[in-house]
Amino acid sequence: MLTPLVVAVTVVAGALTVLGIASTLARRRIGLVHLAGAGVLEALLVVQAVVAAVAMAGGDTPADTASFLGYLVGALLIPVAGVLWARTERSRWAGTVIAVAAAAIGVMVWRLLQLWEATGA
Amino acid sequence: MRDRSVLGPAAESTGGSSGGPTRVLVVLYAVFALAAGARAGVQLATRFHEAPVAYLLSALAAVVYVVATVGLVRGGRTGRRTALAAITVELVGVLVVGTLSLVDPAAFPDETVWSGFGRGYGYVPLLLPVLGLLLLRRRAGDPAGPA
Repeated sequence: MLTPLVVAVTVVAGALTVLGIASTLARRRIGLVHLAGAGVLEALLVVQAVVAAVAMAGGDTPADTASFLGYLVGALLIPVAGVLWARTERSRWAGTVIAVAAAAIGVMVWRLLQLWEATGA
Repeated sequence: MRDRSVLGPAAESTGGSSGGPTRVLVVLYAVFALAAGARAGVQLATRFHEAPVAYLLSALAAVVYVVATVGLVRGGRTGRRTALAAITVELVGVLVVGTLSLVDPAAFPDETVWSGFGRGYGYVPLLLPVLGLLLLRRRAGDPAGPA
């Protein structure tokens, strides 16, 4: 697990949260910028999952492997679910849906890092 | 004329009884159902003997979140009642467990979603039922349907 990657995810997730809230305040549905942001976020999460999988294959497993994997896989699903759910929302609350999903990711990656750093301790 | 704002096309007005805030609440509940459920599953499967009460409470919290999510998604009178019951249990749960975990920390050797009023989760577990009840109340207040 790379701290820079976690920081990058946090920055993108934070930006997406702000953009989501902005479109709700502007009484707009979600636009391209939200889809692009969610795409970047998902790509970073996939990279993170691959990095973690490679490290674990190399024998470097966190103490609480089950929780770690749960968060890792759960984090991959949330942006996708958020986008699908927000796209069907025709009111201005679509942006808030995206914002909640992004904020959840921002918290989850730090929890992931915490679990990772508790390697076999 | 096409609306090309980067923030997306203009929203449709939802009128008085908007479904939008409900949808946001559903997302929050779904995230918590997932978080509490995954956590409880892991705890029960791997360390049940260490803190059975805390882990069973986590599992209970997860079930309550799932029921509330389903009730909110389904909507209608039955859905609202289901959600109302689940959210009431949730509010009582977070208040009782939150208080007990502060008064008698020894009884809660491991964190649950509701420990310390949801301190480990940014107090969102305390906020959620309040928002949920306010929203349900507002919608029940619509002339269209009795509570």
